Amino acid sequence: MRNPYREGACAATRRALRICLLGLITAVVAGCGGAPSSTDGIAINNIVLPTDTLLNFACADVGIAGETCVLDDPDNPFLSVAITEFDVNNPDAENKFVLNNAIPPGPTGAKARFYLWATALARRPTGENQYYTAKSLHELFDAAGDALVQAQALRAYRSVLDNFFGSVTFFECCGGVAFPAPLNELVADNLYRPASTGFEPLIPGVPLDVLSVFGDWGYTYRPATPPDFTDGLVFLNQ
Amino acid sequence: MSVQIFFRGMNNVRRRLAVILLLSASLMAPAHAADKVTTYKDERGWKLQVNGSDYYVKGMVWGYTPRGENYNYNLFGKSDDFIRKVLDYDFGLMKAAGVNTVRSFGFMPPKWVTYVYKEHGIMTVVNPLMGRYGYSVGGKWIPFTDYSDELTRATLKKDMLELVEQYKNVPGVLMFAFGNESNYGLSWKSFEIENLPEGERNTEKARYLYSLFNEVVRAGKTIDSNHPFTIVNGDIQYIDLIAEYCKDLDLLGVNAYRGKSFTGMWADVQKKLDLPILFFEFGSDAFNAKTFEEDQFHQATMLKDQWQEMYNKSYGNGEEGNSVGGFVFEWRDEWWKYLQEENLDIHDNNASWANGGYPHDFVEGKNNMNEEWWGITALGTPNAEGVYTARTRMAYDVLSAIWHMDPYQLKKEAVNQSFSTLNMDYFALKSEVRELKSEAAEKRKTLSFTGGQLKGELVWKGQEQDITEQGENGTEFSNGEMVFLDFGFQPTDRIDGQFTVNVLANVADTEPLQFQYGRRGAPVTVVIPDTPGNDGVNVITDTTFEDRERVEIYDFDATYRGEAFDFTAFYHVPRYHWKYEGDFFGLLLETTDLTSEYTGQDIWNAKAPSGVEFAGKGALEGLKVVAGEEVYWGANPKAIIKYRSTVSVPILGPIDYTFMHAEDIARKGEATGATSATERQTRQTTLYGKMNLTDTTILELGGIMAATEKVDETYQRVSGDQIIQDTIDFKDTLGLKARLTFDLLGTRPYLATSLAGLVADGGATLTEFGTRLPYSALGNKREYEAGVMMNFGNLMIFPRFLIRDNLVDANPFIPAEIDPGGAILSPGVTPRNRDDDPFAVLGNRKAKAAELFMTWDPTGATPFYQWDNDTREDARFAFNIGANYTQYSTATDSDLFFFDVTGANAAFGVGLPEEDVWRVSSRMVFNPSVNARYIVNLATGFDQSTGDPAGGTRKFYEAQAKVVLNSRHIISGFFKKDAWGPYDFYRQFNITFPEQYKLDYSILLDNRLDELLSTKIGIKALYRTNDENSPDDEYQDGQNDYIFQTVFYFQFSF
Repeated sequence: MRNPYREGACAATRRALRICLLGLITAVVAGCGGAPSSTDGIAINNIVLPTDTLLNFACADVGIAGETCVLDDPDNPFLSVAITEFDVNNPDAENKFVLNNAIPPGPTGAKARFYLWATALARRPTGENQYYTAKSLHELFDAAGDALVQAQALRAYRSVLDNFFGSVTFFECCGGVAFPAPLNELVADNLYRPASTGFEPLIPGVPLDVLSVFGDWGYTYRPATPPDFTDGLVFLNQ
Repeated sequence: MSVQIFFRGMNNVRRRLAVILLLSASLMAPAHAADKVTTYKDERGWKLQVNGSDYYVKGMVWGYTPRGENYNYNLFGKSDDFIRKVLDYDFGLMKAAGVNTVRSFGFMPPKWVTYVYKEHGIMTVVNPLMGRYGYSVGGKWIPFTDYSDELTRATLKKDMLELVEQYKNVPGVLMFAFGNESNYGLSWKSFEIENLPEGERNTEKARYLYSLFNEVVRAGKTIDSNHPFTIVNGDIQYIDLIAEYCKDLDLLGVNAYRGKSFTGMWADVQKKLDLPILFFEFGSDAFNAKTFEEDQFHQATMLKDQWQEMYNKSYGNGEEGNSVGGFVFEWRDEWWKYLQEENLDIHDNNASWANGGYPHDFVEGKNNMNEEWWGITALGTPNAEGVYTARTRMAYDVLSAIWHMDPYQLKKEAVNQSFSTLNMDYFALKSEVRELKSEAAEKRKTLSFTGGQLKGELVWKGQEQDITEQGENGTEFSNGEMVFLDFGFQPTDRIDGQFTVNVLANVADTEPLQFQYGRRGAPVTVVIPDTPGNDGVNVITDTTFEDRERVEIYDFDATYRGEAFDFTAFYHVPRYHWKYEGDFFGLLLETTDLTSEYTGQDIWNAKAPSGVEFAGKGALEGLKVVAGEEVYWGANPKAIIKYRSTVSVPILGPIDYTFMHAEDIARKGEATGATSATERQTRQTTLYGKMNLTDTTILELGGIMAATEKVDETYQRVSGDQIIQDTIDFKDTLGLKARLTFDLLGTRPYLATSLAGLVADGGATLTEFGTRLPYSALGNKREYEAGVMMNFGNLMIFPRFLIRDNLVDANPFIPAEIDPGGAILSPGVTPRNRDDDPFAVLGNRKAKAAELFMTWDPTGATPFYQWDNDTREDARFAFNIGANYTQYSTATDSDLFFFDVTGANAAFGVGLPEEDVWRVSSRMVFNPSVNARYIVNLATGFDQSTGDPAGGTRKFYEAQAKVVLNSRHIISGFFKKDAWGPYDFYRQFNITFPEQYKLDYSILLDNRLDELLSTKIGIKALYRTNDENSPDDEYQDGQNDYIFQTVFYFQFSF
């Protein structure tokens, strides 16, 4: 014979347990939350820029377009820095050149400058970023005379020609007027004419040797002429 | 002429007049008065009689549902002309077979009951289901009718008696029957009954059910004494309760699926009820689950055996004598029965339940009943009048022979002799020959051409500046033509599919006012920059390609249907989400909008979804795997596995649970739509459970682990004046989501919450009943939501609220700086984006939102918020009005867009600012007659871009309308003021126009009367004005105030 009291008691227990479960779930859900605490993370307000000239390559192709290992380099002070590209819709906004100009000139700023441009290049592979990465390596070679840096600088310059042959960068002069400068010509001038950078030549020997290296790379350079050195031309060998 | 001859002649005239009058009276009678239907009993048994004549019910369960439709289809909402065509077609065939009565689940209006009676001599049973599948009580829909509830009982009784009153004098009514296997649906719960053991619980519920049945029957008889009253019981379950409570039944209606014999039912009913038996459903399906092919022979054989037994058990045969007929289930296959809302244009052959009474295809442990194959006719293709044909099966021929016997005229021995002479081999052969000769070829063709469409358009367009400068020569004219060719194939019974080929001729130049399918073939000029010229100067060259991609496969799908699993390959065919089958986090998005004028993917020549799906059966039931290049629009190449089942947990009872894992295999290489950004490769794993805490309280709980590949990635955030660099931890990949739905004071409230770690991105939230709450699939949130669905008769009021906060806010823009000494770098921050950072605050931003929707819909069978309600709504007037207000108190990070030039995403760089936004909208549907329909949409609001904040938040107004007259003439159009352009990218780039107009008229030229599928011609005009918020190349610094376009178009369907 059925005991209705017992059946009723069981049902009531089940309901109570279900309500308890619901309450428990509600408590767990309400109590959950993954917001970072005040002890999480590290403050990065002040990062000391390197002033030495010893560059440890993060990888063999660091500073060459397509390689992003510099973004994993713990020595890179710009790892977490927002490097702002020029914005045509907001031309007056501060961009990467403001940072570049704030880094001390000369050998004490060369390494920081490399990291700035190599980081910009890794994040956005443009001819402009490649060119300034190459130039900063050139500057580091000038400061430290490291043969590895010398070779890397040459590879970076060549990358401008191989990967961004038609790219330009803009210079401002004469009261804010911007004019474009073809990067292939700047690369050739920097290598051919030491006075253009003030750095030690990357290709030792006479200028004719530079033209020879250009030939090996698959290009022909018709050097610029004084006094402005703005009429040089680079051809892609057919 | 002699006098004698004159009078003889007069007598002849009188006789003729008398005959004419008598005939007229007999013919007129059904048109004006109902028949007298009675049961008769003597010692030889029971008989049913109509107007004193014996009437053995040779009945058919009849319904009309075209391919692609489901239970929502309402034939009697169509034009009288079309209804008549359908009825004449179907009832003509049934009459020829000898059917004398039909039972229909959908209500046949009185005038059509009389029509089929007068025109085809077929009577109708009025069979209200009386709450079998839910009922509206006190203005609220109750899915499981509680027959013990006083209000429910009173409501049902009142409504049933009103129906009796309505039909009692309708010529053609045979009887009233209530319910449909209602004893199988005793699912409601109440505290008193819950305290009983399960077996007794149902018995208690059955007492309420049968006592109500009898109350209705008894009261019905006081209204109508000319028709018998019965119920439709599932077999003879609870026969003792029926005997106890249903003393006023005139006969017993039964749905019986016992196989070829009804076994002891005759004796049992005679002994316990002493009532005649009328079967309301019985029969056999025509698909053999064992051989996995159509099986007309066994269906026909089963029906023959059943009818022979019924005839033997009828009056005067020396046996129980209580058989008075039955309704064969059913007239025509229904392609919607399996899954009910999916695969509506596919004849599924999935067996969904098991019955050992059908031994020819029964295997222990496997299902053998195929719901979509019960017709004695197959569902064919539309005929010239648009009526879906009924392709007769062998059972139709056998039953024709059986129904032309009269069980009351023939002695039992003669009946059995007649049955024994039925040459089943002959019928089988006849059936096979018919299959070969008729349109059955449609089914068996290895590859067939099934139709297509030819489309063409003539386009005339221009803009102010060109017209000002060049006059008439400033306008442009172009034309476009294309053809779609549809093919179907079914190389075996297990494999079928279809594909469509699109061929382009010319491509009309309709942009920028109208982007449309076929633009893949438009001329494209490719710029080849920086080619060194002979003089060493770099030059730019270009080449134009005129004849590109003239032919393409537009869509394709093929399915293998096996016993252990189904396997489907799909390419650009609509696919649904899995939210109703356990995908709580919405990992699989729906891709159904292929062809819409402004939102469909065809205008961008996108080809989603594409992939394959595996769906397990039997031991693998519940397992689904889908994988492919783009399984929903915008998806990365990915695979998703889902397993759904039920587990019974002590105390908690049954829990419906679902496990899912989605894994991106690669990253999509190009934009979704015009400029929608691609997403990083990721993965998600979810577990979901659903349980009923009480009969009306449902708890859903889900957990997610997402984007574990982002663990250890770094991100920046601002805390006070500090810039913090942090890393993604495992806990940031976790999320929890819960939803509780319950009844309260006659309303249906819900509470929901979603807590998600920084990268715990889910999918799409299920949005229902028109909500515009700012849901987001992204993680990084604590979200709480509540709402109350309140029904007052046909009016639904639904307020909803949502509050959301972020675990980490969006980043402001703080530029990096180097101190004047050049030694210390302050790195600054910029708004994050989802490519460069592990997460970004976008649609999941902090929000407080409230909304209220009021919906008036007197016809719940065509739900107002169903996606195709524009074409289905059958209420004379239905409408909604809704208002939403959302407070965004923080800015967002940066959105991305796909930059076609670089073939990669680009960031807008800045986020959307904090802002309060709102929107008010209304949709109205008028159906003044069955041939006319008006649909009006109104909206105004103040809202933000979905990407670029430049230009600020916009206030806009929109009005859209469509008018359908005589089911053929379609006039549609819109007017928008200060609104974004009609395509998604306009809002993404915050591009608005002062005014936008569209007016479109088309006329449907065939009888399909389907806007998408019919042959039609039309003309469409588009016009919009420009200002500084419009595209620069259109506004041209004020030189171009307007742009217009007129399109004459035609579509020929074949």
